Amino acid sequence: MDLMIPTEESALRRPLLSRVADSLYWMSRYVERAEHVARGLRITTNLLMDVGDLPDELYDRQWLSLLSLVGATLPDSPGDVGSRVTRTLSFDAGCNGSLVSSIANARENARAVRSEISAEMWETINAAYWTIRSDEARQKFEEQPEEFYTSIINVSMLFQGQTEETLPQSQRWMFVRLAKALERIDMTCRIVQARLDAFEEVEDALDAPLRTIQWMSTIRMCCGIEAYRRRFMADFDPLKVAGFIILEETFPRSIRFNVSEALDAISRIRKLTTPETIDPAERVLGRLDADLDYADLSEIARVGFREYLKSVQSRVHEAGVLVQQTYFLK
Amino acid sequence: MFESYDLTGVFDEMFEAPGAPRPHYAPALERLSRLDATSFQRRRRMADVTFVNQGITFTVYSDKLNVERIFPFDLVPRIITAREWDIIERGLVQRITALNLFCKDIYHDQRILTDRVIDPALIYGAKMFRREMIGFPVPRDIYIHICGTDLVRGGDGQYYVLEDNGRTPSGVSYVLENRTVMKKVFPQLFDDYQVRAIEDYPLNLLNTLSHIAPRHADNPTIAILTPGIYNSAYFEHSFLARQMGIELVEGQDLLVENNFVYMRTTAGLRRVDVLYRRLDDDFLDPLSFRPDSLLGVPGLMNAYRMGNVSLANAVGTGVADDKAIYPFVPDMIRYYLKQEPILPNVPTYVCARDTDRKFVLENLDKLVVKATNESGGYGMLMGHQATQTEREKFAELIREDPRNYIAQPIVELSQHPSAIDEGGKLRFEGRRIDLRPYILSGDKVIVMPGGLTRVALRRGSLVVNSSQGGGSKDTWVLEE
Repeated sequence: MDLMIPTEESALRRPLLSRVADSLYWMSRYVERAEHVARGLRITTNLLMDVGDLPDELYDRQWLSLLSLVGATLPDSPGDVGSRVTRTLSFDAGCNGSLVSSIANARENARAVRSEISAEMWETINAAYWTIRSDEARQKFEEQPEEFYTSIINVSMLFQGQTEETLPQSQRWMFVRLAKALERIDMTCRIVQARLDAFEEVEDALDAPLRTIQWMSTIRMCCGIEAYRRRFMADFDPLKVAGFIILEETFPRSIRFNVSEALDAISRIRKLTTPETIDPAERVLGRLDADLDYADLSEIARVGFREYLKSVQSRVHEAGVLVQQTYFLK
Repeated sequence: MFESYDLTGVFDEMFEAPGAPRPHYAPALERLSRLDATSFQRRRRMADVTFVNQGITFTVYSDKLNVERIFPFDLVPRIITAREWDIIERGLVQRITALNLFCKDIYHDQRILTDRVIDPALIYGAKMFRREMIGFPVPRDIYIHICGTDLVRGGDGQYYVLEDNGRTPSGVSYVLENRTVMKKVFPQLFDDYQVRAIEDYPLNLLNTLSHIAPRHADNPTIAILTPGIYNSAYFEHSFLARQMGIELVEGQDLLVENNFVYMRTTAGLRRVDVLYRRLDDDFLDPLSFRPDSLLGVPGLMNAYRMGNVSLANAVGTGVADDKAIYPFVPDMIRYYLKQEPILPNVPTYVCARDTDRKFVLENLDKLVVKATNESGGYGMLMGHQATQTEREKFAELIREDPRNYIAQPIVELSQHPSAIDEGGKLRFEGRRIDLRPYILSGDKVIVMPGGLTRVALRRGSLVVNSSQGGGSKDTWVLEE
């Protein structure tokens, strides 16, 4: 029998198993999640070296705030708060959202769709899995923690780059991209909230340089320090920082940018699967996208960042649930 | 590293006599002899890392920890001459042709039973005989589309068929991956030889599957049905899906409606026309077979019997690779093809026969006893190694259920040099091997040149199964 070469159209329309879409989605979310947790750990480690002597309470609070990135609690283990938090968030397999469990979950999902992703993507996530479980990883964590965290961040960066460069832009790619954007929005909301937890109440008591350092590390945790400086130079005014993280149109890690990414991905998925309908997740994201397009920073400030981010987060969460209902539970 | 190589008295694939390689092994021996241990070790690590990185692992289940292991890979290639392969290939084509005719006959006219070539009791007593298949015309009369036939070489240098795996034979992904790795770690050695390519296997498999598509399907949707990620052969299932560019589905992805099979996709239901199922009959359809199976698809058998979905291999092929039926394959060849078998069977005693059983019970210490419905090296007695108690236990089992046992003389499998690492010291030692070629029956019969050479890596062991500590090596069939 002759094998037909599918046309571009039919290649795009090639069916995608719901279970596969589900696994691609979670694979992508876990990779993105690991990156944020690793960056949070790296920046905090670095920050606490910079600030010098802080009151114990404030010092611990910086660490504790990180636990909220994954909704974890402080374990009952010996040692100071800092090492308990870093150990849990790095290596505790029982802690959902720790680096080791996110990488393992990403790999487990990738393994279930091994035939749907590229060899490059698979080998990156598979190698990361074996690496983080090795003694060398532990040693690096003890000796050069920043380097250890950077290696995890680079796994995500490499994986996402490989996704862009090797995966055809079919439904598979769109689900990966959708998941990445949704996870990034959620994690960004959590990071800003965690930073507010870490120093909001005591902000007034901090001297000016410390305040600047706190806001700088917030933008650092969103991987935006250079982009921010190019936009506002060294002015780390809280309003500007928050505005940048939420609304900056061209910054690939801002909330607005990723809402529009997610919206684009879901509407393309919908066009390929059920072109005549309006997808419920698309509706939620479309409205949020419009809100952000016409948002006014001073209005956001009046509502309060915390409140505003909470509402963004819950709308994005709703979109995620709707995606699952529409595409994965068929 | 060949200095202390011991020929041990069995057939050695590489050496005719101490220090004297068979002509087709001479170039390989020369190159391997020139390597020092360090550089060989480096290549070995390179191969292992490649397997780990690609996730070519199988899972070993122990108490709490599931350990992922690689299938040990032995870097010394097994080489088969074109002349020898020609015999093997013709023998295998002959054998699969007869086996397919046998399946068709058994599920339709049963001439071979009426003519008393095979005792009907043996067929009806076979666990894998499927009454559901009687009278059902499978697409294009092919039952066994993918077969893995295990060959061993005896002390006389003759290849014997040890068994046919006509249900869901595995291992072909290792054959293809072993080749890729060999080319990478031993490019020069590979270049010294004209090795027949095996890389077209996925395409041949795809064509074999397309060949049986239901006639209503113009552009058939073909999928592999896997038990899932926790199955020990999952890597192979996903590998083949990737190589062929088809979907890899689990039971939960499929459903049957109006006797058609559909998969659940993001765009709704999508019809599936051909399933290459890597699931035993028992698990295929809880409505027809084991009701507790969560791996299968309720209603699949009905869709199959309506001709709306094709299955490879067909349901019920287990009757052909039942160990109690195996002794009759040479008779099948004579009966259906009017030919003499090209590849002989290993002499086999069928315990269901009174005279055979008597002989078996009297000679348990010289025989290998196998349960007819087990595979993977389970349910076996190696008479000469077993204790008196173990032998007595088996004698009892045989008397209780003679149909369930066969016995064979111990085949002294041929040996092949393997790289053995003992305490960091590397040398070549002879290890027993077998060979599993893969045979595809579609439009025509295609035998993959080579196949999986399995190695019993434990010294003196005759058991090559991966579940029993076996490894594998690349198998080279020469162009001429």
